Amino acid sequence: MRGADLVLIAMQSLWARGRVSNNTLLVVQCDAPIAPERIRRALDRFLGSCPWPAARLRRPFPWGKLHWAAGPPAALVPPPVRRRSVASYAELHRELEAELNSPIDPRRDPPLRFLIVDCGPEPATAQGFLVLTWFHPLMDPRGGQNLLMQLAHLDSDEGDAPRAGAPPSFVPDPDPRPLRERGRLGRRSLRYMRTLAPVPPVSPGTGLTSPGLVRFRQEGFVEDQSSARGERATREITWRLALVGKAMAGLWDRRGLPAVPFLVPISVDLRPKGDAGPTFGNWLAFHFARFSPAETADVAGLARALRAQMADAVRDGQIDANAVAMEFLHYRPLALMRRYLPAGSSGETFSFNCADLVEFPATLERLFGHSVVNAYHVPAVLPRPGIGVFFNRCAPTNNLVISWIDGAVSEEEVAQIVEVVRDGMEWTRLP
Amino acid sequence: MEPDQIADALTAFINTNIMARGHPVRPNDDLEAAGLDSMALLKVLLFIEAEFGFWIPDEDLVRDTLRSPLALANYIRRRQSPS
Repeated sequence: MRGADLVLIAMQSLWARGRVSNNTLLVVQCDAPIAPERIRRALDRFLGSCPWPAARLRRPFPWGKLHWAAGPPAALVPPPVRRRSVASYAELHRELEAELNSPIDPRRDPPLRFLIVDCGPEPATAQGFLVLTWFHPLMDPRGGQNLLMQLAHLDSDEGDAPRAGAPPSFVPDPDPRPLRERGRLGRRSLRYMRTLAPVPPVSPGTGLTSPGLVRFRQEGFVEDQSSARGERATREITWRLALVGKAMAGLWDRRGLPAVPFLVPISVDLRPKGDAGPTFGNWLAFHFARFSPAETADVAGLARALRAQMADAVRDGQIDANAVAMEFLHYRPLALMRRYLPAGSSGETFSFNCADLVEFPATLERLFGHSVVNAYHVPAVLPRPGIGVFFNRCAPTNNLVISWIDGAVSEEEVAQIVEVVRDGMEWTRLP
Repeated sequence: MEPDQIADALTAFINTNIMARGHPVRPNDDLEAAGLDSMALLKVLLFIEAEFGFWIPDEDLVRDTLRSPLALANYIRRRQSPS
């Protein structure tokens, strides 16, 4: 459990009367229905080498840090694999929102579960949807994809040895630096975070005392190949954040929300590139983007400014220090965790969430015997900030997913945000 | 420096600081396909700034320039050449 995970759990105390979801979904659309037995079999084999899908969240009595604990291999109970049939995409969407809104309690339940949905009016022509739902602090989105890769490998391999060569790494290696050095870096990052939001940010969820259900909207787009803008710059998170900022500034304007600076956490995947890397644990550090609603009028200029901010953070070692701080926070009591947010214990977190969850791996072009048509992630957002905008690609589809909390944002407002982003990316909507 | 030498320096930086062990890139490899994301690209831009003394402006951040270490090296060589 790293700092960001503990903050997520600690934030739940703000809405003690309701069960706030920390679920995240990975939805994989295949060209035909998937057999649940193949997933169950692969999961059984996986548990033979890695117990974490069957673990529970534990804290030693009377004091100690939260951690995942699993029993001996023979006693492990695999996570559930359920199956549903629906006739239309509208019904599928309701099933997916129900998954988001059935929070996993990791103290009592396995931290992940599978749902297989056969979608279509006729069984012969139905498409298959694999839905992996997990308690967000168990894995980050890349970790979810890694788990599927490992299960797909176990499904396709009939022999005793599930993998030739080195075994996959399930968890990250410990930081080799001395404790004193890590402590210095971690404290430096926490001091820096306190300087980021002299005025607490405002979000669509500010003041929301009775949060509604988690909702989401997903749309697929293709890049316009004839566009004059052949820049890789539009693939950069800074460009995408600037566009999302422009859409949010429109929302702020219509709502009459205070024009205080936006504060947005940008996740940085710490895995070395070219290899899948660890599966379990959120292997992320954070950069905190700051800009005013007025700056979004010039998207290109704002993207430049945001890149300069990120470059300064790298030069100053703040990304590395944040990665260390995320590790160090697990020595601190959960009750104090909200203090370490940039805006302190005011309860305000960030203005909105925004992330590019990058490519769905090409090695997963086939999964449990079927071709993958599309795949996207749907993280539940907390009532504050109440909305998150997420990008990913599953060649050739560019997915845009917005998840929000009913009461914080309306469907019409979400539709407007989608349109601003689509227009700025010069994307064409898939049928 | 010739483009090949610049490409070698860029490739060495990327393999040491960005790529996983056992997954090196070569000067002609596509960097996006190799998994370089926004933060990794930023590290490459900072390396170029430190080693070659300039920051690549946004208008030059096009796919053709960033495709591979060799493509970046050709761009750097053009920037260094007196016009």
